[in-house]
Amino acid sequence: MSTLPLEIRCLNVAYQRKMVLWDADLAIQPGRTTAIVGPNGAGKSTLIKAALGLIPSASGEIQFFGKPYAQSRSRVAYVPQRESVDWDFPVSARDVVAMGLYRKIGWCMPVRARHRQLAEAALADVGLGDFARRQISQLSGGQQQRVFLARALAQNADLYLMDEPFASVDAATEQAILEVLRRLKNEGRTVVCVHHDLETVAEYFDDAVLLNMRVVTSGPVSEVFTRENLRKTYGARLSLLDEAVAELSRRGSPLR
Amino acid sequence: MKPWPNFPGGEVRSAEMETFWRLISLQDHNTRIVLAGACALGAAAGLVGTFLLLRKRSLLGDTLGHATLPGVAAAFLVAEALGYAGKSLPVLLVGAALSGVTGMAAVILIRKFSHIKDDAALAIVLSVFFGAGVTLVTAVQQLPGGNAAGLDHFIYGKTASMTTSDAMVIFGASLAVAVMCVAFFKEFALLCFDEGFAGAAGWPVRLLDVVLMTLVVVVTVVGLQAVGLLLVVALLVIPPAAARFWSDRLGVMAVAAAGIGLLSAALGVAASALFPRLPAGAVIVLCAAVFFAISMIFGARRGVLVRSYGERQGMVRLRREHLLRAIYECAEELSSPEQAVSVSQLLAKRPWKRNALRREIEHAAEAGLATAAVDGGDVQLTGRGVAEARRLVRNHRLWELYLLHHAEVAPARIDRDADLIEHVLDPKIVDELEALLDSGRRETFVPGNPEKLPT
Amino acid sequence: MKFFFALLALAVTGSLLNAAPIKVVCTTGMVADVVRNVGGDRVEVKALIGEGVDPHLFKPTRDDVSKMLGADMIFYSGLLLEGRMEDTFKKIGAKGKPVVAIAGELDKTTLSGDEHHPDPHVWMDPVLWAQTVPVVAKALAARDPEGRATFEANAARFTGELKSLDEYVKRVIVTIPAERRVLITAHDAFHYLARATGITVMSIQGISTESEAGVADINRLVDEVVARKIPAVFVESSVPDKNVRAVMEGAAARGHTLVLGGTLFSDAMGAAGTYEGTYKGMLDHNATIITRALGGEAPAGGMSGRLKP
Repeated sequence: MSTLPLEIRCLNVAYQRKMVLWDADLAIQPGRTTAIVGPNGAGKSTLIKAALGLIPSASGEIQFFGKPYAQSRSRVAYVPQRESVDWDFPVSARDVVAMGLYRKIGWCMPVRARHRQLAEAALADVGLGDFARRQISQLSGGQQQRVFLARALAQNADLYLMDEPFASVDAATEQAILEVLRRLKNEGRTVVCVHHDLETVAEYFDDAVLLNMRVVTSGPVSEVFTRENLRKTYGARLSLLDEAVAELSRRGSPLR
Repeated sequence: MKPWPNFPGGEVRSAEMETFWRLISLQDHNTRIVLAGACALGAAAGLVGTFLLLRKRSLLGDTLGHATLPGVAAAFLVAEALGYAGKSLPVLLVGAALSGVTGMAAVILIRKFSHIKDDAALAIVLSVFFGAGVTLVTAVQQLPGGNAAGLDHFIYGKTASMTTSDAMVIFGASLAVAVMCVAFFKEFALLCFDEGFAGAAGWPVRLLDVVLMTLVVVVTVVGLQAVGLLLVVALLVIPPAAARFWSDRLGVMAVAAAGIGLLSAALGVAASALFPRLPAGAVIVLCAAVFFAISMIFGARRGVLVRSYGERQGMVRLRREHLLRAIYECAEELSSPEQAVSVSQLLAKRPWKRNALRREIEHAAEAGLATAAVDGGDVQLTGRGVAEARRLVRNHRLWELYLLHHAEVAPARIDRDADLIEHVLDPKIVDELEALLDSGRRETFVPGNPEKLPT
Repeated sequence: MKFFFALLALAVTGSLLNAAPIKVVCTTGMVADVVRNVGGDRVEVKALIGEGVDPHLFKPTRDDVSKMLGADMIFYSGLLLEGRMEDTFKKIGAKGKPVVAIAGELDKTTLSGDEHHPDPHVWMDPVLWAQTVPVVAKALAARDPEGRATFEANAARFTGELKSLDEYVKRVIVTIPAERRVLITAHDAFHYLARATGITVMSIQGISTESEAGVADINRLVDEVVARKIPAVFVESSVPDKNVRAVMEGAAARGHTLVLGGTLFSDAMGAAGTYEGTYKGMLDHNATIITRALGGEAPAGGMSGRLKP
């Protein structure tokens, strides 16, 4: 009886005859924060997009809370990569966050004042309360990332899927995102992030999924971050592995 | 011998005034009809064109318009073969619409199954379909029977010869398009901004895309036969592009686009009604182009003038602040901030050109921030100047401290280099920094020079 | 005996040479009509521009060009009527083939319009068009000297027919009541008709079908129609009728009923093989239709009763 937030079995994704994901198996535990790590091109973003049905998969079974995505949609929120949109679009931060509420507003109905208030509240949660009316092209990269995050928060979901939320952001944004992750965890929600920085995985996340076309291993960070696993995932980039392992031992386990 | 007949009753009193009055009071049926039809089309095209522009598919109207030609010839042939009158408007319109939609499908397929990008795909479909169309039309015209006369001109209408039924069709179609755009406003906005998120949230992205493209087809085909290919494409592209310069809000931009489309149409028709031998369609396009030029230069949000003005203002402020800071620091080194400093000392502090420095000092004096002795003598800060300079220096030193101690990328507005940070700091951010620093050190307000700090 | 055989051989060769008619390619049907009438059996004529096709905009296809290259002679109207073919004519002429603009020789001072852009619709006036006949005869005779007598006889006959045509046209048009004697069409093709018969012409577009009417032009025409109480307007076979319909609507809005008088042949003749598909039939049809629609008297069958009702 699986009501795990996200369970993936034997997911295969190919792009122009090249395999991107091979027999990927995944079981995300509820109420925990999970990082998906792996080298570039390992298929991390692809995994999330395929799970959401944004790209076609060759085969595989995907279940959100025990049901297909279409039926669990209202419980899942997605934060795409920042580069996936043109930030020159004529909307304000508040407008973007309100887009997270569109499904609730329904077809052809207008965005009302209370929706806008909800959006502003979500922006305040990520520290952008004063930037609600600001044009998104006038925001810094980190602020844009936080707008995306606020949009997902406004959906009030049980599972959050985030694609590289910490990529190229400033310190304040990093703090803000961490705040949000902690709060979500306290509320019993589940968070899955594609993460690029091995050094911070131990500090920010409970669980990790090591991915390199196939899932090498997954589980609590303290258990899976062994030299052997990291070498299987990253290949021969040893110095990096050493750092990561050293960091892990320095900070001790378990983590927050 | 005069080739042309004299017009009856040529009054000496200004015929121009007469024509002008007739235009304003909309006495002529034809003027009314053309005005109503063209304005409705202009507004609808501007509205739909906004979404096309944001979707980066502005040339779709052009491709669609050109792709209708083979459909026109084919519809004619089919109708004639079946025994019906080939040159009937509904038949040809259906053929045009089907052919246009096929062209659109071809664009999508090319993009899907090859590496060819949008602009190339549009160009390919445009040329191939139009070439096929010209061939078909020529072949059709070689057939016996005079029925095919002016087949291509038949479908590419001329604005001035709009009839009442034309105008009614345009009006109806424009109204339907406008209603759809308003109803699906947020859906289209989401589609244009973040297709991935929309799909994940459960919006039927393909369907929405098809709906939007259908609106474009409707506007194009209806407009094509009433006002011609040139005008329809222009109205789909130019008003939204012009509207972009005026606002950063999507709703305002869409309304502005519709407005500019409507105005261009109105002015174009008016000009064509006032002066002989001015084809309405071409003049409407010219009006739209003029609006675009005006928008580009004077646009409230992104116009060239506004932006360069903003930048110049920024530079002026920068130079002022460099001066104040330099005077303060020089004076501080000597004794106190109120001390007068000489020009050569200032020059030693910061690389100015002598004349530029002198001008800056004059400006500062005019603003009441400093007093300068005549003839390039000593400069001294006024009370106000001291307060302002103190604030600037404090900001600057706080930043230097912060960078020194934390050695990280600075928060928030970090896209500038360290030199300019103090010029973008809000008083609020400064307070935060101070609190941060004060929590670690119990020293006062204005830290001295970084070199003097205990490490 | 030898002499007899030589004579026979010569006769046979001669007749062989003469048996082959001159291959002629013409542009418009009107030009082809003249050449056929003058050349008779000694020419084989093909017209490139079919009925219902606008010669102002006609662009020759490869097929057309090869037809022209395969012909012995080429005749075209000239005066820039076939505006898009000038280059083609030059190139073919450079190859040594006779390319004759039959209206090109006309005395420019007798033509209307601008000095540099005379109105090319000269076939609308039978008298003017008759002046092209000797040009054709001369050109044909230069190519086929044996047929000179035939050509000249045909030319004379044809010119006579054109003269009676001219008389008919003038006769019927004059029966239209004076104040209604106004011909309104889509483009300025009928100017020479106006000049010959005294009827007034007004058009919506200009001389060429490539130009576009403005709103003011349409309004002006509506004013005229209403002021003069003109009963009918006319469309043309080779030009779209949108403009004319707009004028009809404008007049109706002012309470004046304007009917469609009929379809006139302006830049092209009727269907090949019919009476209207000949030059005489074309002008006969035009004159008769115009007269009857504007309230004049003309027999329904036209000049010789051959018009379709």
